[in-house]
Amino acid sequence: MNLALSDEQAMVRDMVRRFLADRYDATTMAKGPMSPDDWRALGELGLFALLTPEQAGGLGGGAVEVMIVSEELGRALAITPMAEAILLCGRVIAGNPAAERWSDRLMQGDALLAFASGGAFVDERLCGSAGIVRDGMDAEAFVVETEAGTLLLVDGQDSGVRRTPVRLVDGSMAANVRFDAAQAQPLTVPASLWAEAHALTGLSIVAELVGAMATLLDLTVDYVRQRHQFGKPIASFQVVQHRCARMYTWLEQSRSLLLKAALVEEEKRVQAVTAARAYIGDVALKLAEEAVQLHGGMGVTDELAVGRVLRRVLLLSRLHGGGIAARAALAA
Amino acid sequence: MDLALSPEQHAFREEVRAFLAASLSPELRRGAALTSGVFAEPDIAREWQAILEARGWLVYHWPGHAGGPGWTPIQRWIFEKECAEAGAPVLPGMGLKLVGPVLYTYGTPAQKDHYLPRLRTAEHVWAQGFSEPGSGSDLASLRTRAVRDGDHYVVSGHKIWTTQAQYANRLFALVRTDADVKPQQGISFLLIDMALPGVTVKPILSASGDHELNEVFLDEVRVPVSDRVGDEGQGWSIAKFLLENERGGSSFAPAILADLARLRTSTGPLTGELADRALRLQLEAEALEMTELRTLIEIEHGAAPDPRSLTTKLLASEIRQGVEALAVDAFGLAGLQLPVERPFYGDDMPSPVGSAQAQVAAARYLNARAWSIFGGTSEIQLTLIAKAALGL
Repeated sequence: MNLALSDEQAMVRDMVRRFLADRYDATTMAKGPMSPDDWRALGELGLFALLTPEQAGGLGGGAVEVMIVSEELGRALAITPMAEAILLCGRVIAGNPAAERWSDRLMQGDALLAFASGGAFVDERLCGSAGIVRDGMDAEAFVVETEAGTLLLVDGQDSGVRRTPVRLVDGSMAANVRFDAAQAQPLTVPASLWAEAHALTGLSIVAELVGAMATLLDLTVDYVRQRHQFGKPIASFQVVQHRCARMYTWLEQSRSLLLKAALVEEEKRVQAVTAARAYIGDVALKLAEEAVQLHGGMGVTDELAVGRVLRRVLLLSRLHGGGIAARAALAA
Repeated sequence: MDLALSPEQHAFREEVRAFLAASLSPELRRGAALTSGVFAEPDIAREWQAILEARGWLVYHWPGHAGGPGWTPIQRWIFEKECAEAGAPVLPGMGLKLVGPVLYTYGTPAQKDHYLPRLRTAEHVWAQGFSEPGSGSDLASLRTRAVRDGDHYVVSGHKIWTTQAQYANRLFALVRTDADVKPQQGISFLLIDMALPGVTVKPILSASGDHELNEVFLDEVRVPVSDRVGDEGQGWSIAKFLLENERGGSSFAPAILADLARLRTSTGPLTGELADRALRLQLEAEALEMTELRTLIEIEHGAAPDPRSLTTKLLASEIRQGVEALAVDAFGLAGLQLPVERPFYGDDMPSPVGSAQAQVAAARYLNARAWSIFGGTSEIQLTLIAKAALGL
């Protein structure tokens, strides 16, 4: 049993942290998606290659690396396509000849892939529509899971693909995608890889939430120290201290389930990630609501970081059905 | 980073498992399962204490120099987890976990030689004399007086919430030896023979009907000065050491998880709101287990305890109370029995209804309300967390 990062892992964490610290602070965080240039720069640093399986030419980083990187993204409130483009689509296409022309460019940050659910695969063509496809406007290609559960790859340039933009609550863009007899190539994905891709995507989301919770607590503690009412800092009031202490317990309990999800043996990963989502999906939003409350009127504005972070946490904590779906899965 | 046990830790766990399988009789398990209070009652506790002592594992959390087995924090955790899963009795902690560490840390050689062996054989059974009617959370305001008279202190005062004092023959107590200095500086730590003239124990019945708590009256009790631990006026720092030891010494989650698992076995499949509550408690308890383990792993690798260790008493209290409330609801009317006779696990019990868990559900629910009160209330815990972890 050991919880220390290896030298390499610590280097990755420091690199990502420095990169993000140069670009995000309380005045800029959670304002909108990361710029394509910054995303490409992260690719050039080798970050996506680190998280790409070896059969796709990556370094095969695993759950611990996903946790470290995603927690930093969450801490800086960087809004990126990491979870779905790199961890989900990147794994699904790994080693798949049909996806060869995208896999390198995805890993370098030059191209995005988006994950879409919906439609039916008939006579080599995809028909139907997919509702909210995150990063679907910018994606060069789509990994599609049809209603029947078939996995397909669809070129975004195909004449049968039509997209209309949808703005999401955290300021990121999604697309409403229609497939009108679009050409689609079936992807053969081993069940183990599919399960791993889902687990790591879920792990990435809870790690981002834990990072965001840590930032929210920092912002709140700073704010209650400097905000004066009744002639003294509101941090001197016991009710405020206790609410901050309660937020800290949620953060630490969440971090515990995150660590467990990243460190359990492979065969227990899905269960542990689901448990983390089941708990963190709820308390992350609760913590964000407390942060807003303790910021008073300023907390509900777009001006302070905390209000914007609430939007991001709302989105992350509700993805893939959020805590409700995760608890239903555990109960089944 | 990894959570795997080393081959040595694996082997150690197997050794503990084998020992528990061989040593924990059905009667002991049954007695433990039917315990409604925080600690096992004396006839079970005494038997289990003797078995552990014979194996050399009674004072498993004491360091080697004090006569413990010299286990690492992870070994202790493995032992606690295995004991909880096997359903072993929970031994009273007043001697083993509270005054024991005080004695081997602050005691004179003569005090160690006299008291530590007797603690282990249960010749001495200890009670804790800290709280007073006017001094609960504000413990430093305590008023029990110890006035020096030659080689003795003459002690007078009134202690309260003294767990299992009716079975004890020794009391460790905080007393005021100097009323003219800051409250914290005038406190000393005394060991009191409860057979001395002037010591009276009066029961306090809990809402459950259980007799766990007592008042202890001290009326001009003459305590030898040689039974003071540490210097005069050092009592407050010794008490802080003791309370930190109480808080950080052992893990809460293994027992909660084991009890929750036994409860779910006993209730059968739960549905609807009950299932949801059980699942949420399970998640909270699993998170707590990892929160405790994180600190233990860090200490094992040489780090100082992180402030997160301050959260566990608060969280454990709430989860524990949630589990006991779930039990009452899950068992329906059968969860509303109160035992007619004590101790509850005797063979001639008048016809109970349902499983052991159902029979004790109501009493355990009532007794568990004390979790968020004893050993520092939840409100005190939140204040400590705000201060130590957040600098507020």
